[in-house]
Amino acid sequence: MSRSNEAFWWSLFAAGGVLGALFIPVLVLLTGFWLPTADPVEAAEHYTHLVELLGRWPVKILLIAVIGLSCFMCAHRIRHTLMDLGLRGHARAISLACYGAAILGALASVLLVARI
Amino acid sequence: MAGEKRITLEIFRYNPEDGGEPFFQSYEVEYLNHWVVLDAINWIKDEIDGTIAHRWTCRMGVCGSCGMMVNGEPKLSCHSLLRDYAPGPVRVEPLQHFPVEKDLMIDKSGFMERLAEVKPYIIRDDVNDTGNGEYLQTPAQIAAYHEHSMCINCMLCYAGCPVMSLEPAFLGPAALALGQRYNLDSRDKGQAERVDAMSGDEGLWGCTFVGECSVVCPKHVDPAGAIQKGKIAAAKQWYANFIKPKGAKK
Ligand code: FES
Repeated sequence: MSRSNEAFWWSLFAAGGVLGALFIPVLVLLTGFWLPTADPVEAAEHYTHLVELLGRWPVKILLIAVIGLSCFMCAHRIRHTLMDLGLRGHARAISLACYGAAILGALASVLLVARI
Repeated sequence: MAGEKRITLEIFRYNPEDGGEPFFQSYEVEYLNHWVVLDAINWIKDEIDGTIAHRWTCRMGVCGSCGMMVNGEPKLSCHSLLRDYAPGPVRVEPLQHFPVEKDLMIDKSGFMERLAEVKPYIIRDDVNDTGNGEYLQTPAQIAAYHEHSMCINCMLCYAGCPVMSLEPAFLGPAALALGQRYNLDSRDKGQAERVDAMSGDEGLWGCTFVGECSVVCPKHVDPAGAIQKGKIAAAKQWYANFIKPKGAKK
């Protein structure tokens, strides 16, 4: 039906947007504020607990999805912003750079999270 | 005229036939509390300067013909109270993103062609003759498309949409919302006929979800919402097509 591959990239963008809106504020609060400001002994406990949690595959998959799809969300938004800023003549190069970076980011998230 | 207060209107003037450049002409108007921008323009045209060209019909936000840029924003001039712009001046221009025919009148033909492209009518093979009764719908089936069906074709959304200025071939908010309105109608079977026009790069995917169309829409049609629904449907279809065996693809 759809004649444009934009549908595919948009669906990754949309999925990344939804997951990002749900999970990223929580993750930022947890790892950016709550853990660093907690009592060191307690924080160490929480940290061990978090690492344990990340050892489970369902959690790993969720984290990979959040990070990977967020990469695609950013790539799609940046691509459209660059085009809107007047770089339509370089559409191909911009797509390659943006989505290429997102694919690398997603792969990196798989490798890094899988090793935890 | 029993005016109460005074305000200045700066009206965009342009006549391609006399070869002149566009300019702004100021008119001072005494206005009554209930006057809208359109009342002032009509008064100027009747009493001061009969050469101004502008469109209007119903004066009640129904016909959609009086859209103009009022102080830089797309507005129905019959729905814009002058007193809200006091002490003025009020700058009145033709809707942006359209070619100007004369003064405040824009050329609508591009918009009309876009409307036709999305086939904004119910399409199905088995046309009922009236003797067989109506096509019934549940309240939920009506609710699925109702808000998107309130469009009066005023084109304010085209003037509001920044994509229109960057991508002049973009199908635009009203046409996409109208196409989606019929796609969402349970009586309609014409999705496949609309898909070429709607799902291309100049259709749904041209939209970057700025959302200004829904902000300026005087009828709460929510074209931005309609377009996002269209994107979800098109994305589902893309995946369905992708997993279909090669031979079954259209
Ligand atoms: S004159 Fe009809 S909508 Fe304004």
